[in-house]
Amino acid sequence: MIKGFYSAVTGMLVNANRQQLLSHNIANLQTPGFKQLLGTMEDFMHTPVTFPAGNITRSGIHPVGTLGLGVMSGPEVVDFTQGGMQTTGNPFDLAIQGEGFFHVRTPDGDRYTRDGRFLRDAEGSLVTIDGHAVLDDNGQPIQLEDGIAGISTDGTITVDGNDAGRLGLAAYENPRAALVRSEGNLYTALQDPQADATVQVAQGALEMSNSNPTQLMAQLVEVARAYEAAQQMVQNQDELLGKTISMLGRIG
Amino acid sequence: MGYSLLHALHISRQDMMNRLLDLDVVSNNLANVNTTAYKTSRSNFQELLSLQNRDGDMLKNTQVITRQGAITTSERSLDWAIEGEGFFQVELPDGTTGYTRDGQFQLDAERTLVTASGYRLIWDGEIPEDVIDVALLPDGTLQVLTTAGLQRDLGAIELATFANPSGLEARGTNTFVESDSSGAAQVGAPGSGSAGLVKAHAYEQSNVNIAEEMTGMISLQRAFQMSVRAFQQSDTMIGQAIHMRKG
Repeated sequence: MIKGFYSAVTGMLVNANRQQLLSHNIANLQTPGFKQLLGTMEDFMHTPVTFPAGNITRSGIHPVGTLGLGVMSGPEVVDFTQGGMQTTGNPFDLAIQGEGFFHVRTPDGDRYTRDGRFLRDAEGSLVTIDGHAVLDDNGQPIQLEDGIAGISTDGTITVDGNDAGRLGLAAYENPRAALVRSEGNLYTALQDPQADATVQVAQGALEMSNSNPTQLMAQLVEVARAYEAAQQMVQNQDELLGKTISMLGRIG
Repeated sequence: MGYSLLHALHISRQDMMNRLLDLDVVSNNLANVNTTAYKTSRSNFQELLSLQNRDGDMLKNTQVITRQGAITTSERSLDWAIEGEGFFQVELPDGTTGYTRDGQFQLDAERTLVTASGYRLIWDGEIPEDVIDVALLPDGTLQVLTTAGLQRDLGAIELATFANPSGLEARGTNTFVESDSSGAAQVGAPGSGSAGLVKAHAYEQSNVNIAEEMTGMISLQRAFQMSVRAFQQSDTMIGQAIHMRKG
């Protein structure tokens, strides 16, 4: 009885969590380089069910099988599929086509990102909009002279036609296993990137969020209904419990 | 953490506020579609994610997009355009140096060159009393035609450039002042570095692209609507939890 009550509640909790996750994905529809979070659900534990002891026709414990105790949120995974490209014409807006990441340095350590909104700061360093240094292929910050910057598809930087280094680009065969999400569109690496990265960079363009508005709206409806159904189940359990208390054993 | 529907409400509410700020930025750009040498601004949104909390997004900063506006010719000899990354230097009322690309100057009663807002152009010369016409050469040299004839070597206009012009602080009236993120002004003759040459009888149009701004407005409006939906839904779900007990 009470088992069923708690199972129904897990359905509400999991869907409340999905609602929060969807709100986060919706809020970041216009964040370049944003990779949507995908929630997963897992079967909660199972418990053996037995006939109650003292049953009229049997004696002792008689197992009848197992009973699921509801659902729980599984690990959140990052959807690393490509987002749509938007051209901006801004020389320091960069986008990666296909696999790969930019390499940046934050006060907390090196990070990887798909967010290519870069700037040349007052000291001439190439930085992200959060002020983190963008690193070259030797892991050093990039210094740019005054002039017209060009960035070729392989990440080679030129200023007024003169070579100015190459962007540090990283690729992972399985980014889901190699990268952990951290604050502000950045990822922490658990593994070294592949050496033979063939990452393609586009200058004057940004990769937009990879969440799909249609899909998000459909998921919102799904969550609303699943939550409602679970809430109904809780009510039904409560009603049954009420009936048990007030009516069971009443004679006449 | 993570199960709180109130937090989902907060994420959507914050995002709606962010879209409204973006609407302000886009509106300002559209309002300045005909402002001489106006530079469009972009809102940079960034994901907010703390250790275990998904916090939606924030408006990290607005970025001035410094791309060149189209150059249009004009009849006035005091209409000057910059073809490059330089800025004219002007004296602001509080004495600090301002920077503008709006080169539609006028000669005031004291024969000083002033911007449309009345800020004095900083240069090392003076316009003589009996001036008839002024000619600006691409390298910044000024020549003046007076009743006495042509006067050369009157002085020169210099341009300022910045390591990060998109980091300049806007002071309104098309004028900027330097900031920590722009770096200090480097002053030089037109044509030096990335300053570019000056062009007389011309002015730079606003670099606002109407199609781009309208597309931005449509997508921000839709994003706003989606967060409104998510907000309403979180609210309904909270309501369902509250009214779970029937009787």
